[in-house]
Amino acid sequence: MRHLIRGGVLLVLFALGLSSPIFAQTSDDFFNPEVLQRVDIWLNETDWSKLKAAFQENTYYPADVTWNGTTVYNVGIRSRGLGSRSSTKPGLRVDFDRYNSGQQFLGLKSFVLDNLTQDKTGIKETATMRFYTRLGIPAPRETHTRLYINGRYSGLYGLVESVDKTMMGRVFGSIGDDVQNDGYLFEYNYVLGSPWRFTYEGSALPPYKARFDIKTNESHAESTIWGPIEELVRRVNETSSGGIEQAIADRLDLPAFVRYISAQNFVADFDGFTGYDGMNNFYMYRKEESSQHVLIAWDEDNAFLQADYPILMRIDENVLTNKLLSLGSYRTQYFNVMLESADSATGWLRQEMQRQFDMINAAMLEDTVKPYTNAEYAADRETLLAFPEARITYVRCEVAKQTGATRPSGCQ
Amino acid sequence: MKRPLIVAILIAIAAVPAAAQNKGKRGFVWDDRPTIVFGEDVNIAVTGRALVEWRWFDPDIGEELFALRAARLGLKGDLTRHLDWEIEREIGVGDLEEEDDSRIEFGEWKDVFVRWRTFDAARVKAGRFKIPFGLEQNTGVSELDFAYRALGSRTIAPGRDTGVMVSGELGRFGYEAGVFDDDGDNAVSSEIQFVQEGQDLENVGPSFAVRVTGDLFRALPFTGRLRSANVGIAYTNSDVPEGLNSLRGESFWGTEDFFERVYVKGRRQRYGAQFDWSPGPTSLRAEWMQSREERNEQSNRNEDLSDFIANAWYVAGTWLVTGEDKDDDVNARRPLLKGGPGAIELAVRYERLGFESASTQGTPFTNPRADYLLPNSDSVVTFGVNWITSRWTRVIVNAIHEDFEDATRTPVPGTSSFWSGLVRLNIVF
Repeated sequence: MRHLIRGGVLLVLFALGLSSPIFAQTSDDFFNPEVLQRVDIWLNETDWSKLKAAFQENTYYPADVTWNGTTVYNVGIRSRGLGSRSSTKPGLRVDFDRYNSGQQFLGLKSFVLDNLTQDKTGIKETATMRFYTRLGIPAPRETHTRLYINGRYSGLYGLVESVDKTMMGRVFGSIGDDVQNDGYLFEYNYVLGSPWRFTYEGSALPPYKARFDIKTNESHAESTIWGPIEELVRRVNETSSGGIEQAIADRLDLPAFVRYISAQNFVADFDGFTGYDGMNNFYMYRKEESSQHVLIAWDEDNAFLQADYPILMRIDENVLTNKLLSLGSYRTQYFNVMLESADSATGWLRQEMQRQFDMINAAMLEDTVKPYTNAEYAADRETLLAFPEARITYVRCEVAKQTGATRPSGCQ
Repeated sequence: MKRPLIVAILIAIAAVPAAAQNKGKRGFVWDDRPTIVFGEDVNIAVTGRALVEWRWFDPDIGEELFALRAARLGLKGDLTRHLDWEIEREIGVGDLEEEDDSRIEFGEWKDVFVRWRTFDAARVKAGRFKIPFGLEQNTGVSELDFAYRALGSRTIAPGRDTGVMVSGELGRFGYEAGVFDDDGDNAVSSEIQFVQEGQDLENVGPSFAVRVTGDLFRALPFTGRLRSANVGIAYTNSDVPEGLNSLRGESFWGTEDFFERVYVKGRRQRYGAQFDWSPGPTSLRAEWMQSREERNEQSNRNEDLSDFIANAWYVAGTWLVTGEDKDDDVNARRPLLKGGPGAIELAVRYERLGFESASTQGTPFTNPRADYLLPNSDSVVTFGVNWITSRWTRVIVNAIHEDFEDATRTPVPGTSSFWSGLVRLNIVF
């Protein structure tokens, strides 16, 4: 009998020890790019109708969210996006702590449901963010999800990690016991009709306040929040190209910045830092107890425009990129990152795109609220799958042309 | 007309009778107010009031204001011994330091009613007037002991609406019972009803209200001076349309909500109790009131939620240090314009207004659709000095201390207590 009890106890202990790591869910599981998730949102029918009717507003509505058998009650959701806002398929932001400041889910305070209305393939954003992560560029974790509203299938969405303090802690880690997430986080705000390319806008802070929405430490003095940005922009504009590194190296992580703009060019995003209508779609983080800023990738729905997207596209239009890349060392780094991107993409990017298409295909076809047809999706899918190989060749040829290196085979 | 000019005119009107004291029985009479007397029970009087105040706030809020808090002009009169009537309208309210043009700015209508008063046991009033709920809410602004009514009187008590009411005295008891078009100005719905195509607007109202007051202590033995105390109970019942239409908690100055509106649908009921005692130069007033609002089909999953509850109470005491009797119309023994000091009164009030849900199960949330709502309340103590300079004018000085239960929902999140104050000049005739 004693043996039986001991055996039973051991069996239970073994089962507990085995089961904990297997069944404990983490935010990595939530954003697991290998899994098409299912997220259920439950909200009052009146609120869902109101949200769709007032989709241009940022009004929060209370809701419950269920994922993988776990329900989080009393979260806040709202319509989100800029050009992607939709009354039929709203993009959504979900805040776990909207109505209880301490509420989190899997350590997350919020996440984003990207409605994929601006990308007929549905994977440009997710493929780009995975690619950035391979290159060591700070980027949100993402996957896809079937979204159900009050039990009804409401379309295929991108499941996107919020760029917030939680993500900063994940990306920048800890120094000792101190998580490095108490710095100043800004979301770049595209001001309609006022394209900006890092020109100096004077010593008053309002223009910078308008372009850089503060997301942390909001109660601090304006001079503390936006003063360093004004100083960075002023130094960039007042300093000649030759002295630019010395002037701003303590204000901007230059190697990381060049890596970011180079990779963004590789994926041919025409609406990024050197976008067609000025700067757009990024976050900027001033690290804790530091004056140095780092860029965080955001919103890559407009990536993969065309394989022959020029490798120095609009670099000269932006004061910062123009001056920085006029320096040989940073120009060299820019091209090196391009080649590194090409190497990293070789054999991986197309395979990743195909894997994502396979994962989302049924959900995409069943999505009746997307603003494009299944035929358009199929056509854009084929175009996108042809991008990696052509882009890799184009970039290698163009970099060789720019640097004077031997041109690889296949160049036109 | 510029706002300061309105104030000046009202001051002049209020000052004239003190000098004139015209006691004519017919024609133009100017005693309490300018009146034309046509006959024994037929007359028309002009009424007016101006409340000018300078507020100063806690430095954290960082606002000061020199404002015309209220300016009203009206007419009242008797048609026969059976009928009387009254109309009153707001004019020119706003910041006195603002630039304004020369137009008269009319605000909302206040009292607009006619009353049939043949029988003391049953008087009938029809028009727009205050719903019979709340001792302080139904006290005229010139009789208030403090510059502002208690939070509960401004929030839970419904205020004015359009309706018909019967009232009267039956022995030691008085009663008021009425039916009204809506649920009072203080409970006006914030949200336009959201209807989808093919849906009709829900019918809102009418509301019902009843109040019974009486000298209850006269019927009890051994109550001594308390025999003069008056007590009462009140009740209202109305429907609230679906939406963010509940009552809400505004801070004392109304700058911020310390409890935002929640989604409601169903019935709103109010319960009230009041106590009013004025022995000699002192007074003691107290009220308790509660509202309960149904939240049918308002959960995230369209299920019923527990009732939304607002509770309020206050206790207020006053003392006329110059010795006058405290009644509804304190007359200074030695008015200022006759060389005396006027009447001086000290006052203190402690009050609380709080919001919560009937359910307290699980984790509380601020979510307006949460079954268990995270409570919050505002406790306020007001210290006052009233200088009653004449029958028509009074200066009120109030120091106000607010203390919020939830420091994250205050005018300055993170700070739970505030001091503020005001000096007010009341001119009423």
